Amino acid sequence: MIYGKLWCVVKPSTGIPLFLSAVAVSSFLVHYMLLTHTSWLPKYYEGKATPKTAAVEQVDKVAATPTDTIVAAAKQ
Amino acid sequence: MSETKSDPNKVWPTGLTEAESEEIHRHVIQGTQIFGFIAVLAHLFAYIYSPWLK
Repeated sequence: MIYGKLWCVVKPSTGIPLFLSAVAVSSFLVHYMLLTHTSWLPKYYEGKATPKTAAVEQVDKVAATPTDTIVAAAKQ
Repeated sequence: MSETKSDPNKVWPTGLTEAESEEIHRHVIQGTQIFGFIAVLAHLFAYIYSPWLK
């Protein structure tokens, strides 16, 4: 196994907590930076639809209605 | 001529033999693989159910 002899020179009581801490710190920093540098992640963590999404859905509904009506009228 | 094969019974400065070191390393690798699998799954769900990259 590659690097299998690592623990001959690094004490597991030092190396394993160091490794796990590095993973925890780096993944926390990536997610924290995403939280503070994007607009969508804070909104997603807020737990509700964004006003923009809601407005777009409303516009879609309004825009869809006359088209449907026109198509239905044309078929008659 | 120096020996190319190391002594399997030698106790290294960390107090472990090569076999013990490799056994610990197997568990570390397996733990990393399980963690990675769960992380990939979590990111897949985040991609599907959040506005990420949309």
